[in-house]
Amino acid sequence: MAADAYAFPHRHLLGIEGLNRLDIETLLNLGDRYVDLNRQRVKHAGTLSGQTLVNLFFENSTRTQGSFEIAGRRLGADVVTMPIATSSVKKGETLVDTAMTLNAMRPDLLVIRHPSSGAVKLLSRKVDCAVINAGDGTHEHPTQALLDALTIRRRVGDIGGMRIAICGDILHSRVARSNVACLNVLGAEVRLIAPRTLTPSGAEDWGAKLFTDMREGLKGCDVVMMLRLQQERMDGAYLPSAREFFHFYGLDEEKLSHAKPTAFVMHPGPMNRGVEIESSIADHKTRSLITEQVEMGVAVRMAVLETLAKNAPEIGAKNR
Amino acid sequence: MTGRTAIYNARLLDPASGRDEKGGILIENGLIADLGIGITKASPADLRIDAHGKALAPGLIDLRVKTGEPGAENKETLETASEAAAAGGVTTFVVMPDTDPVIDSVALVDFIKRRADGVAKVKVHPAAGLTIGLDGQKMSEIGLIKEAGAVFFSNGDRPVEDAGVLRRAMQYASSFDVLVASRPDTPALSKNTVMTAGAFAARLGLRGAPPEAEWIALERDLMLAETTGARLLADCISTGRSLKAIERARKAGVKVACSVAAYSLFFNELDVGDYLTYCKVQPPFRAEADRLALIDGLKRGVVDAVVSAHDPQPPEDKRLPIAEAAYGAVGLETLLPALLSLAARDELPLLAALKAVTSGPADLLGLPQGRLKKGAPADLVLFDATAPWACDRDDLSSRSKNSPFDGRKLEGKVLRTWVNGATVFERG
Repeated sequence: MAADAYAFPHRHLLGIEGLNRLDIETLLNLGDRYVDLNRQRVKHAGTLSGQTLVNLFFENSTRTQGSFEIAGRRLGADVVTMPIATSSVKKGETLVDTAMTLNAMRPDLLVIRHPSSGAVKLLSRKVDCAVINAGDGTHEHPTQALLDALTIRRRVGDIGGMRIAICGDILHSRVARSNVACLNVLGAEVRLIAPRTLTPSGAEDWGAKLFTDMREGLKGCDVVMMLRLQQERMDGAYLPSAREFFHFYGLDEEKLSHAKPTAFVMHPGPMNRGVEIESSIADHKTRSLITEQVEMGVAVRMAVLETLAKNAPEIGAKNR
Repeated sequence: MTGRTAIYNARLLDPASGRDEKGGILIENGLIADLGIGITKASPADLRIDAHGKALAPGLIDLRVKTGEPGAENKETLETASEAAAAGGVTTFVVMPDTDPVIDSVALVDFIKRRADGVAKVKVHPAAGLTIGLDGQKMSEIGLIKEAGAVFFSNGDRPVEDAGVLRRAMQYASSFDVLVASRPDTPALSKNTVMTAGAFAARLGLRGAPPEAEWIALERDLMLAETTGARLLADCISTGRSLKAIERARKAGVKVACSVAAYSLFFNELDVGDYLTYCKVQPPFRAEADRLALIDGLKRGVVDAVVSAHDPQPPEDKRLPIAEAAYGAVGLETLLPALLSLAARDELPLLAALKAVTSGPADLLGLPQGRLKKGAPADLVLFDATAPWACDRDDLSSRSKNSPFDGRKLEGKVLRTWVNGATVFERG
């Protein structure tokens, strides 16, 4: 297969930035195959048998952490999730010391989420194994972008030429940053819809069109991606109130009617129903892809884990 | 209002078109149905009014009025303010949000509009608080409040000190193409001051507000308007240097308009004279050079609006040692006479003066009135442009009488005022 013939040239997955179209498509193609596996009764593949995957989440997460755990187990890896809340990190150990300690345990894959942008990259320099960024601050969340792309590709079709809107708190969203990069590489026309307080300065240079009027921004869109709005953003600093946000930027039937009649709706979760999205849309049987995104998440993470495990330098040298 | 009214034998003054000629106006259904030399005594109408050659101009639009409603009705209500407005030829005014409670929500904007519909003789538009309770911390529901009918957003006389808050509020406002008004002031420099800083304040032994208090805040506001793309109204600037800063910013593409209080065109610091508390205002009366520079700015069209800065204060807050007295002066009834006096004294061309109280502010808010034009609302003022009179505070219609014009000689008198074609004031 063509996908197998291409040697993925990266040791880590720290972000979408730096990946080319072939890199992304290689991961998506492999993810596609794992979707089929995941839909069978017996979901095991032995690809990572004997390898150790460590989940290191410095920030609370249910779905991403669980998704990586399941992905690792289905590939046959030994999965360890470090309990950060009770660990020595809380006792004042520096991030780098934690990394050195973990590195000494010789994991093969390290999945890290951290509240500070750039922290995952810092850790990746201190360890010998492959590092996967599961979200760093407001920087990147590459596996989310990949699972979104896989979802769109499977359900809507070729992303090239598609018009896709990303709406809501762009400023604080690592999902938005990764998605803009990913969708741009795949040839979509990306639109960002947000009040200016939630649009990062310089976003006009991201290769996306900016809109403050949601109805105008949604015109002709094939896909509408909503972002989660953190409660603490609605206290008057960035936004006056949740109800004002919903009035102007919450996705409801009326606003969605400005997109294509066939437009699909996505959300990385967890959702604030009634703030950024109306329940009837989140639960829409044909237009909402939200639960499908979760399913694609496991598949695409399996693809990422397998691809990076293959690339680990020492193991590769021994095996060949 | 039934039928048609013809006002004939008038001197028509329309700053929007530059018209200054003899003629008349035909009013029908509250709108200007026709105007010009063709409207005469012989024009078919149900009611004919001979203007006796006096000036007929669009009713004034005042972008800065405080009333005490809600919260301090002893100072002024929407009703009494509207009577003062009508007597001063002001047919539309904007109420500032500095009330108790502050006008910072959809409900209060709605309250002001309903209340004004019920009791006010002239058109009243609310401005809303930029931040909740004017606390300078949390922005108000700018989008929803704009939809409810607020014409602009302002922190009133409590400038937002936190540049981060102001920046985000302006960013947010720019998402909705909202006009943000800011009276440039640096409280750290102006707090507890009585008048402008300088030799005269020093001689009187009074604490003075240095003009830097205005310049620093204005430069900050202009920078934020530039980087956020927000529309800014520099509210009540009082110095020549501020005008220069605004002109410079405009050249750089900043969307900034500015207003000047009528008192800043009429008085200088010396008018504070013998510790007159009616002359304690914010911004304070400045140097004569500033007054002349502001008049020049008005002539050159740099100043978009002249406002009354109407701020009623009862005797218990004014009849005090000047350092303890409240800030503020009433101004609705002296706005037009102050401008007419400057015109009568050849300090200012009449049309330039009128523009800043008619089409200037109308254009800023996107209002249809403020011009003599077929189809425009018949909001009109008939006045004698040169009649001399002496201002006596007891003759004012305003509930509070704190006027710095008290006892001063003025030229120009309002004779009659119409709102939507209906007479709301007629001098007896």
